[in-house]
Amino acid sequence: YQKLQTDFEHSRLNQAVTKVHLNIIYDILLQQDSIDLGAGEFVTPQEDSSATLSESLMDRLNDQMMESVMISDSPNNSEEDDVGPIDSFLDGGLEENGSSGNKKEESEIGQNTTEIKVPVDQKEQECTKDDIKEEIDIEEQIQIVVSPQSEAHSPVVIKSEDPEHQSPKGTSPKDEPVPVCTIFSQGTQPKSLAPDGFQPTLIKSPSFTTGSGGGSDEAVTPSKMTAPLVCQPSPSLSKFFTDNGQANPASDFFDSFTAPSSFISISNPNADVSPASTPAPLSFTPEHQPPTPVSVFGPTVTEPTTKPQSPISQTVPSLNLASSTPQAQPFNQLQAVFSGTDDPFATALSLSEVDRRHDAWLPCEETRKMLISVATQQYGPAYVDTNRLTMPGLKFDNLQGDAVKDLMVRFLGEQAAMKRQVLTASSVEQSFVGLKQLVSSKNWRAAVDLTGRLLTAHGQGYGKAGQPTSHTTDSLQLWFVRLALLTKLNLFQNAELEFEPFGNLDQPDLYYEYYPSVYPGRRGSMVPFSMRLLHAELPQYLAKPQEALDRLHNLKTVCLAILENLEKGSAEDGSMITLTQENRQASLKLWRSRLSRVMYSMANCLLLMKDYILAVETYHSIIQYEPQQRVQLLSGIGRIFLQVGDVKMAEVYFQDVEKSCQMKARDPTHTTCVLMNRAFVYLSQNSYAEAHASFLEVLKIDPRHPVTNNNAAVCLLYLGRLKESLGQLEGLVQQDPALYLHESVLFNLTTMYELESSRSTQKKQALLEAVACREGDSFNTQCLKLV
Amino acid sequence: MFNHVGRFVHPDVSQGCQLSCIKMMRLTKPTLFTNLPVTCEDRDLPGDLFGQLMRDDPSTIKGAETLMLGEMLTLPQNFGNIFLGETFSSYISVHNDSSQVVKDILVKADLQTSSQRLNLSASNSAVAELKPESCIDDVIHHEVKEIGTHILVCAVSYTTQCGEKLYFRKFFKFQVLKPLDVKTKFYNAETDEVFLEAQIQNITTSPMFMEKVSLEPSMMYNVTELNIVTSGDQGESTFGKMSYLQPMDTRQYLYCLKPKPEYAEKAGVIKGVTVIGKLDIVWKTNLGERGRLQTSQLQRMAPGYGDIRMSVEMIPETVNLEEPFDITCKIINCSERTMDLQLEMCNTRTVHWCGISGRQLGKLTPGASLLLPLTVFSSVQGLQSISGLRLTDTFLKRTYEYDDIAQVCVVCPFLNNEC
Repeated sequence: YQKLQTDFEHSRLNQAVTKVHLNIIYDILLQQDSIDLGAGEFVTPQEDSSATLSESLMDRLNDQMMESVMISDSPNNSEEDDVGPIDSFLDGGLEENGSSGNKKEESEIGQNTTEIKVPVDQKEQECTKDDIKEEIDIEEQIQIVVSPQSEAHSPVVIKSEDPEHQSPKGTSPKDEPVPVCTIFSQGTQPKSLAPDGFQPTLIKSPSFTTGSGGGSDEAVTPSKMTAPLVCQPSPSLSKFFTDNGQANPASDFFDSFTAPSSFISISNPNADVSPASTPAPLSFTPEHQPPTPVSVFGPTVTEPTTKPQSPISQTVPSLNLASSTPQAQPFNQLQAVFSGTDDPFATALSLSEVDRRHDAWLPCEETRKMLISVATQQYGPAYVDTNRLTMPGLKFDNLQGDAVKDLMVRFLGEQAAMKRQVLTASSVEQSFVGLKQLVSSKNWRAAVDLTGRLLTAHGQGYGKAGQPTSHTTDSLQLWFVRLALLTKLNLFQNAELEFEPFGNLDQPDLYYEYYPSVYPGRRGSMVPFSMRLLHAELPQYLAKPQEALDRLHNLKTVCLAILENLEKGSAEDGSMITLTQENRQASLKLWRSRLSRVMYSMANCLLLMKDYILAVETYHSIIQYEPQQRVQLLSGIGRIFLQVGDVKMAEVYFQDVEKSCQMKARDPTHTTCVLMNRAFVYLSQNSYAEAHASFLEVLKIDPRHPVTNNNAAVCLLYLGRLKESLGQLEGLVQQDPALYLHESVLFNLTTMYELESSRSTQKKQALLEAVACREGDSFNTQCLKLV
Repeated sequence: MFNHVGRFVHPDVSQGCQLSCIKMMRLTKPTLFTNLPVTCEDRDLPGDLFGQLMRDDPSTIKGAETLMLGEMLTLPQNFGNIFLGETFSSYISVHNDSSQVVKDILVKADLQTSSQRLNLSASNSAVAELKPESCIDDVIHHEVKEIGTHILVCAVSYTTQCGEKLYFRKFFKFQVLKPLDVKTKFYNAETDEVFLEAQIQNITTSPMFMEKVSLEPSMMYNVTELNIVTSGDQGESTFGKMSYLQPMDTRQYLYCLKPKPEYAEKAGVIKGVTVIGKLDIVWKTNLGERGRLQTSQLQRMAPGYGDIRMSVEMIPETVNLEEPFDITCKIINCSERTMDLQLEMCNTRTVHWCGISGRQLGKLTPGASLLLPLTVFSSVQGLQSISGLRLTDTFLKRTYEYDDIAQVCVVCPFLNNEC
C-alpha cells in the first residue's frame, strides 16, 4: 500500500504568518496602549486562510500498516479540502521548528498578559473604601443568618485546581499582589493535558494535600506527640472520674461499653442523655431490642460491667502512665483477671440474637483455626504470634484546627474571628455523648480530636501502634467513628495510615471468640460491618480503585455466603443453631441490606473509575434489593449516560422512570424526579431555556427544593443572565442558609462573584461571615475561593 | 485563587478615569455534584447520625443517599481543555465598577487564530449607557476549526461623563488540541470491492461517546457499514451497548465500498490514487458537550494489475473429483496499446485443462475486455488452486502468467454411497 500521511499542521507559510501576528500582539502588550481594533495588523490575508485548510499530503514510509489520517477541521470548513492542492510538502523537521518557534512566542505572550495589573496603592484605597461598605452589609447578613444550630450539610468535596494549603500566617489581602487572570496559565500548558475538570472527582481537602502540603507535614509530625493529650485530662474528664470514685478515667469509661448490652449512661452519671432525649435510638442498648429478655435482667446489667472495673483500673494505669512497662504484661493480667468472670446473665445477653446477627462474619481459614484453638484452650491468646495481632495506635495528633476561623483571621481580622464560636474537643463531655454532639454540630475535626483522646485513654494513643493491646467493642467503634470522620473530611491519607495496623480486619484478636473470658460465649466480629465497608471503600479515594474493588468483592462474597447459610437453614456462620423463623427473616433482611450497601459502594467505585458499563450494570442490579429506590436508581443511571454524552440512552432510562412513576400512586417527589430528568436532557441538548423552564416547574411543586433552585440559577448564567442568576442564589443563601450554605451552591456563587465584579473578594468575605455563624469546623473553605 | 474566570483589571491609561472592567469565563457544560457517602448502621456508635447528616445534605439523592452521582449542577471549575471540532463558549461581562454612568459602550470580541480573525460578538452596536454596578453580558459561541493557539481579544470602548473617550482590551489565550487519532487501512478484494478499516483513538483525557462515525463515500463508490450485527430487525452495534471510548482507547470501524455500476465498468482503467471518501465523526462528552470532525479525503492506491488483468467471473464452489467443470475468466486490457493474445493452458499436478492449448484469442483494444469460458477438472481431492494459464501478447512476444487465480473444493461423489 502506498502510505499517505497527512496532518493537522499548517503549511510553512502559515507558520510564518502566525509568528508575525504573535509578534504584533506581543508588541502591543508591551506598549500597553490602545490600538483601534479595526486596524489592519490582524487582518489575515484571505489566500492565507484558504491555504491553511489544505492539508499537506506526505509520503511517509515509516508506518507500514496503518495510515495516519488527518482530521481536517470541522465539516463546514472542509469543503476546500477536496480541492486543496497537495503541494505543500512539509517535512518533520520543518514542522518541529515551526511549532517550537510558535511555542516560544506563546510563553512570552502569556507572561506579558498576566502582567496587567492595577497599581497596588490604588487597589488598597479601593479595598478600604469597600471594607467600610461591606461591613454594613455583613451586619445585616449576620442578623438574617443566626438561627438554631441544626446544620444540615455534610461536607462534600469540590475538586479544586489548586489545593494549596492555607497558611494561618498568610499575608493580609492588601499585601498581596492583585491576582490577575489565570486563564493564560491554563492555556500555556496544553501538552500536559490537565484533567479537564468535567469529572466530578473527589480530590483533597484544604488541609491535607498529597504528602507535600503543609497539612500533611503537620499531620505526621511526631514532635508534638511527646505528651499525649489525654494524659492531662480536661476538666470535664477528671470531673467525670471523681464523680465515679474511680481511680482511672479511661478504664472506667471504656468498661462501661465493653459488655455487649450495657447502657452508655449506666456507669457515667454525666452522660445521662437518656436514649429518649437523643433523636437517634441507641439501638445497641438492650432495651431497644424487643426479642432479648433484657428488661427482665435489667437490674443485673450493670453487674458484668462494674465487676471488671477494679481489676482494670489496676492494670490500665501502667498502660497510660508508665508506658515503658512492657505492654504484654498488663494484657496478660487482663486476660487472667477476666477468666474468672463467668456471669450467666452476661452469657445469656451475649448470646442475644441481635448480637449474633450483626456480628456474624466468616473469618479466613487461618484465623478460624486459631479461634477454635483459643476456644478449646489449646493455647492462650498470649502465645499468638504478634504478626497475627492487631496493634493500632494514633498516627498523628491534634491536626485539627478550624479553617473557617483561620480564614477569618486572615481576611476579617482577629477581632472578627473572636466572634466565631464552635465546639471543640475540650468544650464537650469527654464521652460518646460529647462525641455525638460534635458530630451532629458538624465539628468533625474536633470530633476526631476527641476520638483521639478517648483512644489514648484506651492505650491506643499516639505511638502505640505496634504495641500489644486489647480490643473491646467500644474501642473498635471509636476507631470506626474516627476513621469515618477522617474520610468525611477527605483526610484519606490519614485514614489509610491509621487503618494500616488493622490489616485486612481479619486477625484473630478482632473476634469475640478470642476473648472467651471477657465476652463469654459471644461469637463473631468485633469490627463493625460499617468499618469493614469503610476500609474497603477507602483506597478508591487514594487513586487505588482496583484495591477498593477487590476488598468490596471480598465483602460481597462473605455477605453472599452468609445469606446462603441462612437460606440453607443454618446460622449466619454456618453453624447448626436453630433459628426461629422471625430471627431468620430479620437476619436475611439485615444481610440483604448489607449486600446492597456493598453493591452501592462497588457501583460508586466503578463510577469513579469511569467504568460506566459496569457501573450501570451494578446500579441496575441494586434495584432487585432495593425496589423502593427504583426511581432514584434509574434516574441515576440516566444521569450517568448524560455524563458520558449518550443522550439517547439517558432518555431511554428516563422514560423507564416515567413509567415506574405512573404505575405508582401519585407521589410529588416522583413528579419532581421526572421533571428534573427532563431538565437534564434539555441541558444536554443545549436548550438552556427549556431546561430552566423545567426547573421552574419543579419549583412550583416544591419551592424550597435546594437542588432545583441552584440548577435554575446555573441555567440563567448560561442564558447570559448573570445578574438574575446571582440575585437568585444570593437571595436563597440569605433566606435559607441551612439549605444553601452548601459547598456546591457557594462554589457557584463565588464563581459568579468573580465573573461579575472586581470586588468579588469583599462579597466572598461576606459569605465567610455567614458561614462562620452557622457551620462547624468541618466546613470545606475551598468553595469560598478566598485563597 | 481565581480559576478560569479571567480577571483583568486593565491598566490605567488616563489617570483615575477607568470605570469598568471586563471578565470572561469559559462556559463548558456544568457538572453534576458527587457526594462522598459514609454510612453506619443504627447499632454503631454514631447511631443514625451519619444517616441524618446525609439526609440533610441538600446535594444527596433523597431516598438513595448512597448514590454518589447527585443532581446538583456546579459551574465549570477551570478552563479545561478544548479540542478541535468542539464549540468554544464564553461568557463576557463588562461591569461598571465606578459610581458614574458611562456612555456609548461598545464591546467587541474577536478570536485570533493562527490563520484568521473572527468576530464573535452577538451585536456590534454600542450600548447607550451603563449605570454603576450594572453589566453588559454576552455569551459567545464558536466552533473551533483549527488547532493551536487561539487568542480571544475583548475590546471595550466607552465615553466617561466628562466626555473622555476610553478604550481598553484584554487577551485570553488558549490552545486547541487534537481530540482523535485516525488511522486507516484498505483491503482490496478479488472483486472490485474495497474494505476500509479505520482505527479511531481517543487522545483526550475524558471518555467520549461516539455518536456517529460514518464514511461519506466519494461519487464513485457506494458504502456499506459493517459495524452493526443485525439479528432480526434489531441492529446491534459491534461495540456493545455503550458506545463510548475511554481515553487512549482505540476502536476499529469497518466499511465496504463498492464501485457504482457506471464506474465499475471502467474499473479496469481506474489506476493509481483514487479518492474513497471521508470519515465524519460526531462525539459527545459531559452533558452533551458536542464535537464534530471530518477526516481529509481518504485516498487509496488502486492495486496494480499490470498490462492485462484476469479475474474469475464464475467458478463453482464445490466440484466432483475427476469431473470436468466450467469456469469463466474475464480478461481486461489495462495497457495503453492493442494486444493480440494467445492462450496456453498448462496442466499442474492436480488441475487438468480441457480443450486446446495455444489458441488465439484475437485482438484486444485498450480498456476492452473478453469473457473466456474454460473447462477444467481436478484429479486430487481437497481445496485446489486453479493455476497454469498463460497469455502471450504476440505483438511484443511477452508472456503473462496467471497462477492461483481461484480455489475450488474437490470432493469424491462416491464416498458416501460406497460406505
